[in-house]
Amino acid sequence: MVESEIHNQISINRRAAILGTLGACLFGVLSSRLYYLQILKSEDYRALSDDNRFNFNITIPSRGRILDRHGKYLAINSQNYSLVLIPERVKDIESTLFKLKQTLSLSNSNITRIKKNINRQASFVPVLIKENLDWATFSKFNFQTPDFPGVIPQVGLGRFYPNNGLFSHTIGYVGTPSTKDIEYDKDPLLKQPSFKIGKTGIEDSADKLLRGRPGKLKVEVNASGRTVREFPVDTDAPVNGKDIWLTLDSELQKKAAELFGDDSGGIVVMDVLTGELRAMLSMPTFNGNLFVSGITQSEMDKLNNDERRPQYNKVLAGGYPPASTFKMVVMLAALEGGFIDPKDKVICSQKVNLGNRTFHCWKRGGHGPVNMREALKGSCDVYFYELSQKVGIEKIASMGRRLGFGEKFSIGLKGLKSGIMPDPKWKKLKLGNSWKVGDTINASIGQGFVLSTPLQMAVMVARIANGKDSLTPNLIIEPNLKKFQSLGINPSHIAFVQKCMLAVCEEPGGTAYKKYGLELGQLQIAGKTGTGQVRGISEQERRSKLRRDEDLPWKLRDHNVFVGYAPFKSPRFAVSCLVEHGGTGSKRAIEISRSILKTALERDGISNSKNIKSTITTNA
Amino acid sequence: MVFQIVKILKVLLLPMHNLFLDYTKTTSKLSDINWLLVLLVFLLGLSGVAMIFAATGGDWLGGAKQHFYRLIFATFFMLLIALIDLRFWYTISYPFYIVILMLLISVDIMGVTVNGSKRWIDLQIANYELARVQPSELMKLGIVLTLARFYHDLPRWRVSSVYGLLGAFVIIFVPMFLIMRQPDLGTALLVAATGASIVFLAGITWRLLASLSVFSFISITLFVVFGLKPYQRERILTFLDPSHDPSGASYHIIQSKIALGSGGFNGKGFMNGTQRQLEYVPENRTDFIFTVIGEEFGLVGSLLTIAIYIAIIGICLWLSAQCKKVYSKLLILGFIVTFSLYVFINLAMVMGLAPVVGVPLPLISYGGTVLLTVMTGFGLILSAYIHRETKLPSSKYKN
Repeated sequence: MVESEIHNQISINRRAAILGTLGACLFGVLSSRLYYLQILKSEDYRALSDDNRFNFNITIPSRGRILDRHGKYLAINSQNYSLVLIPERVKDIESTLFKLKQTLSLSNSNITRIKKNINRQASFVPVLIKENLDWATFSKFNFQTPDFPGVIPQVGLGRFYPNNGLFSHTIGYVGTPSTKDIEYDKDPLLKQPSFKIGKTGIEDSADKLLRGRPGKLKVEVNASGRTVREFPVDTDAPVNGKDIWLTLDSELQKKAAELFGDDSGGIVVMDVLTGELRAMLSMPTFNGNLFVSGITQSEMDKLNNDERRPQYNKVLAGGYPPASTFKMVVMLAALEGGFIDPKDKVICSQKVNLGNRTFHCWKRGGHGPVNMREALKGSCDVYFYELSQKVGIEKIASMGRRLGFGEKFSIGLKGLKSGIMPDPKWKKLKLGNSWKVGDTINASIGQGFVLSTPLQMAVMVARIANGKDSLTPNLIIEPNLKKFQSLGINPSHIAFVQKCMLAVCEEPGGTAYKKYGLELGQLQIAGKTGTGQVRGISEQERRSKLRRDEDLPWKLRDHNVFVGYAPFKSPRFAVSCLVEHGGTGSKRAIEISRSILKTALERDGISNSKNIKSTITTNA
Repeated sequence: MVFQIVKILKVLLLPMHNLFLDYTKTTSKLSDINWLLVLLVFLLGLSGVAMIFAATGGDWLGGAKQHFYRLIFATFFMLLIALIDLRFWYTISYPFYIVILMLLISVDIMGVTVNGSKRWIDLQIANYELARVQPSELMKLGIVLTLARFYHDLPRWRVSSVYGLLGAFVIIFVPMFLIMRQPDLGTALLVAATGASIVFLAGITWRLLASLSVFSFISITLFVVFGLKPYQRERILTFLDPSHDPSGASYHIIQSKIALGSGGFNGKGFMNGTQRQLEYVPENRTDFIFTVIGEEFGLVGSLLTIAIYIAIIGICLWLSAQCKKVYSKLLILGFIVTFSLYVFINLAMVMGLAPVVGVPLPLISYGGTVLLTVMTGFGLILSAYIHRETKLPSSKYKN
């Protein structure tokens, strides 16, 4: 028995030794594993640990401002008062949202969006409740914070457009990037919450310049993604966006809007020497700020249902018949081609028959015998019907293009229209049939196929006023003045046309005559009126003599056009003004143009012709 | 009958008498305690306090304080158990086992569900909650005590007999089955592995051992394929291919390897572990506490910790060799096998060598039950050693 017990002891000891050896082997495996992890692979794991730890947060640059020529703000970054909610600090999200809904009168769709964001993001990421709060609401909320735990009033930077939408068409507005924007533009800024990009106008076309470059902030994050620490040393500061200075003058723009009142249309004031646009306004306009914070459906409907189409940029994208203002083109084409002696007279008896069609002059009873000067002064259509047949459409179209018709100018904006400067080739291509004499006759008075934008009309009159340079418009102030190509028109012909235009405005009987002219002493204005027909005039109406444009529905009234420049002797500013459905006689367009030229000259300190030279040098 | 009861009472009261009335005996027992073992165990417990302190980001109240007080209490408890006469433990081995079995069954019937498994039982007296016990934890002690007595009573020639095998099988399998039902795969396997080791140590023939190994290998394979809960299988799959789902189930393994690996040779320094600070390693106060050691003290700290574990295990092997009785030997070896398995499985898991099973690192991980179980085990080891000369009833069966 003792023997067997000893035998038992030895057996157990031996087997314990076997297990002990096995254990030693296992510890050996564990130790070599530790050696592998902590020595051989240490660098890799250290890198992985840093990957875990460090993250780069994007810091948002402040967007470049947009200023007018005098440094007045057109687009700025204003303090944006907003409320955010941090889900993890809110005890009862449902009841908090309900209270917020009542206090801030949030819509149901807003509540749905907030809830969606709360569920989608980590619970420490703030969710926007409402931005662009007014100061009263915001400060009230600052006092109420104890009632709303987890709801935090925040001050950020938002885009703000002062000037009541005067510049909305030109500047455009910013908005939240669309999915398409994010797909197309890989800039990490676009993915930042509440980051806005340019959607229209300068904000859109110069977006890259205004946006700037994002900065990087190295941060340490924990497993749930919360920032634990920031490393200011390892930080790239954001590069703020560049400011953009426009050639526009906000006072002039304001004056133009006042002059337009409730009328619809567009006006362009252009520097005849540099091509700078001093005012460019499409009326009515809209408030770009509405779009920044997300426009409501009712506001959108209001804009869309306005028959004057506030969102449409009539100055750059509208296609209007230049009407009688086109007559200068026909004149110059005729003079340059030597087709006519300006003193030759044509008898206007209100109508001309051509084949089976009859073409009318606007003036009842006709103008009688008129030479070129009288024809322009009284805007006789018949004279130009005759003249255009002699000159031919090719020469007219070529002169039209030389003066800027059919051209798409590059002014740093998108969405400019080229209009139509028709010729036989164009008609064949677009409509598939050949050019008729009637088409030439219609074109001679700027009707028919001819379509232009108010900007093109301004360029036309500016080129005539300048006489030497083939001016192009300028919207953004560049460090160097543009060099223009030569216009290449005989100066004596230009001078003749200029005198004719002077007669239109400054001689009794001229379609734009007004006794006291510009009301700027000796300074004279030269220009040309136009009436763009919106509809055909029936023979019966013509005979009944009862047709009065004012009696027609607004939509069917004629467009008012006026182009002109001042001062006559040393031209400074050109203007082109279009009043949609303003009625026959261009009265509204003339009034507006005369006043705006006066204001433009006054603002430039030109009350008489002597000091023009000095102002040019200071402004350049 | 009366004689029987008096005999049992005498055995039960004897240790109390010896402990508190016989001072000379107690003093000599105290001097006989292997103080090096006590010191090393206490040292690991203290390092646990420090690591829990670090893991909670320097929050003394985040568990470190509690672990410290538990450690003090458990150490005294260990010494108390060590001083109690071995005959007492021998006598209560079977009753203890049966009580735990009943507790396990009651867990199955009325246990408290925590994290989807029933492991706890509330001990209540008139609706006053006394304690929440985890019978499966106690079974780790129970299985060693019972098998040690079973083999002590069994003559060696019967170890590989049908009676011996069947007895051992029932003793191991019944609690294992009950624990697996909770479900707590880790503890069930630990109990089974401890049991199997004791069967091996008791002297089962090599031939039988080989055929049992083959049999258990096949049945384990079948069990893995058909008998596992989805989350358990997921853990094993994750272990086999940790990169297939980095933020899901294998996240633990990857992050814990990053923590260890980034520690390098001498670590990032106490309280400087970034993985730990930034909460990348989950459960780093409990099961993944070794990642804190590895990250903050590097290879040096990790190997030092392992060395202490090896020393403890080595001392216990030596203690068992000093004992002559089968009961004492198997008691010591059984506990040290359980302890080693804890350490192996936990370290292998943290290093990405084993699937993630909820096994803590004994003495260091936060958690009262495990600490108490392990310290009780060491108390019994010491008791077996101190009382190595005490007479136990010898085998009932003649050779």
